[in-house]
Amino acid sequence: MNEPKKNIEVKVERTIPASPGEAFDAWLDPKVPGNPWSMAEKLLLNPQVDGFFYWLMQGTSHYGRFTEVARPGRLQHTWMSRSTSGEESTVIVTFEKKGEDTLMTLVHSGLPDTDGGRGHEKGWNFFLDKFSKKFAAA
Amino acid sequence: MDRLTDVFTAVSHPTRRAIIGQLATGPARFTDLAKPFDTALNSVTKHLKLLERAGLIERKKLGREVFISFRGEPLREVADWVHEYEQFWKERLDRFEQHFKDKRKKEKK
Repeated sequence: MNEPKKNIEVKVERTIPASPGEAFDAWLDPKVPGNPWSMAEKLLLNPQVDGFFYWLMQGTSHYGRFTEVARPGRLQHTWMSRSTSGEESTVIVTFEKKGEDTLMTLVHSGLPDTDGGRGHEKGWNFFLDKFSKKFAAA
Repeated sequence: MDRLTDVFTAVSHPTRRAIIGQLATGPARFTDLAKPFDTALNSVTKHLKLLERAGLIERKKLGREVFISFRGEPLREVADWVHEYEQFWKERLDRFEQHFKDKRKKEKK
């Protein structure tokens, strides 16, 4: 296909019953369940600006560089893995105070729209390839 | 059934995918839609009902005729849904949220 490659952006929001500072610290603590680091088979994590991470999960290597570490509100790092096809994608996590809780927003952008990126639902590729682009403006 | 299941069910049959493929070129009348398929008319009706339930088609009356047209919105939801990173981050953040919920519960006890 000669169409320019489309990038996908994934956005997930959750309300965390904790202060932004607590949520921020927990997100970078590999002992806390839920953050990606907690699932690592092998982990090198240096969460400061220009610090790197190496994260091995289910035999797949992931690499990234922290580009913004602004406790308690915002964390930004790059993300490369097999699923990003060698492209440098970006993960931005923000923590906003919402009453007693924290609105946590994670945006993973710059993901290549490839079969690899689309993962396991091979059976759907027929119809995704054919229709999702075609009707993007529907 | 939830909406996503309805969409997956709707597109799981080759005839229904062919109907979508045909409607992708523009709205059509029922008779025109049924013509290419070597199948009974009431079977086409059944297929259309499943597509309608998934929100993939809508019927509009123009004068005395009913036209069936395609709606892309539910497919975009499916396209979003299958991105592995969306699944991944949703699961991670669900787990993270649960961790704090459990923690707050314990603190209140």
